[in-house]
Amino acid sequence: MVPDLRPKLAFVLFLSVCAFAFDWQILLPLIALVLLFPLALPSYHPASDRARHLFFRFILFSIAISGAIIVLNGWILQTGERVEILPGIPLFSDGLLFGVRTAARLLLLSFSVLLFFSSTPIPTCINALQQSGLPRTVVLMLLLTLHFLDSLPERINRIFMAQEARGAPVRAGFISRTKAFFSILSPLLLSSIAESVDRGVALELRGFLLEMAPSAKPALPAQPLSPLTILLLAASFFILVISIARWLLP
Amino acid sequence: MKLSEQFTKETSGAAIPFIAFCIALNLTVGQVTSALKIPIYLDSIGTVLTAVLVGPLAAATAGALSNLLASAMGSPTMAFFVPVSLVIGLFSGILARRGWFKQWYLVVLGGALQGVLAAVCSAPISAYLFSGVMMAGTDFLVLYFRSVGNTIMESVFYQGLASDPVDKIITYLIVFLLMRNLPRRLTGRFAGAANIPSRSA
Repeated sequence: MVPDLRPKLAFVLFLSVCAFAFDWQILLPLIALVLLFPLALPSYHPASDRARHLFFRFILFSIAISGAIIVLNGWILQTGERVEILPGIPLFSDGLLFGVRTAARLLLLSFSVLLFFSSTPIPTCINALQQSGLPRTVVLMLLLTLHFLDSLPERINRIFMAQEARGAPVRAGFISRTKAFFSILSPLLLSSIAESVDRGVALELRGFLLEMAPSAKPALPAQPLSPLTILLLAASFFILVISIARWLLP
Repeated sequence: MKLSEQFTKETSGAAIPFIAFCIALNLTVGQVTSALKIPIYLDSIGTVLTAVLVGPLAAATAGALSNLLASAMGSPTMAFFVPVSLVIGLFSGILARRGWFKQWYLVVLGGALQGVLAAVCSAPISAYLFSGVMMAGTDFLVLYFRSVGNTIMESVFYQGLASDPVDKIITYLIVFLLMRNLPRRLTGRFAGAANIPSRSA
């Protein structure tokens, strides 16, 4: 049974619309809400330990970057009143306000997208996409990408060490290191193309690329949208229309 | 020919696993550049490889899927740049079809044009969605351009012009050199085998 991801996607859409429609005073509580979701709601729990680690590491990283964005904008954009927050660093109100607005929007957008992906395993996401009518070639592409993503770092590391053992200048000067880039990329590409050809032949032999007969296509009943999804979509649409109207008619 | 028919034609045989490899390459090539401490991104090298060996629609798909997977893997803002990847894939695929990957000077020119196009496409997204702040090192360039009196849109565009053409020229040249040195028995399996430069080029 593939879970219905539409409520989650509608929630991401709702948060994205809010990020553009509202000012930072409203965005900050929404950011706090997004941060509480993985702790409070089971369906938003990170899907794995790795996802949990990634999610919380990204939160810490982006909060630190946001602080830097605010200070840098306040320091470089020297308009408005001078504000003494950090001793020895002159900050200006207009730059600080711009930094806060930008950081709040960026944080909400980033956290909402990350909340979806950290709580939804990629294979589940791919299954849901397939059920919603994504071509099977694209689904296979995504699944094979996951395979390559697992194996590529190890393969790169192996080639790197082999070239280093052969005396390739992987730790020498800039020009030598740039040349060494080719000595790593060429065998990587060669082995991967060879593997691609082998896999392609295997797919053809298994008849994967043959057209499916109409009767063989899986008949999946279209599920109705849940009330929550409808509510979120309607709210997003309403906020978007109001924002555009306010922008056009000041 | 319909787009769907064209896509089906491009993604046959060895193309599907190769496109998957190229998407993974887009996401992991940074590992090679950081291991060698080379200050370039090359995050569209897989897209351009797909464009040359497979075709424009497959390349656009590879670019878009790369961005979506990058979002899932810890760079959430990448999802908003899917249109830029689509343009990069389509443009490089069209250039490859027209034989621009057979001569080195056309490759350099194509890379420069691609860089300008990428800057033009990414500037509105970066400016309007993120006010020019992408949580990356290039933010300093945007801030510099803003501090000398440019608008956000202008600053983001100038930053793109300063960094994208160089990155794309290098990407195009790497793909050109790789394609030139690959054995024909392997590349001959792909629809874009005719786009590949000969060793005498």
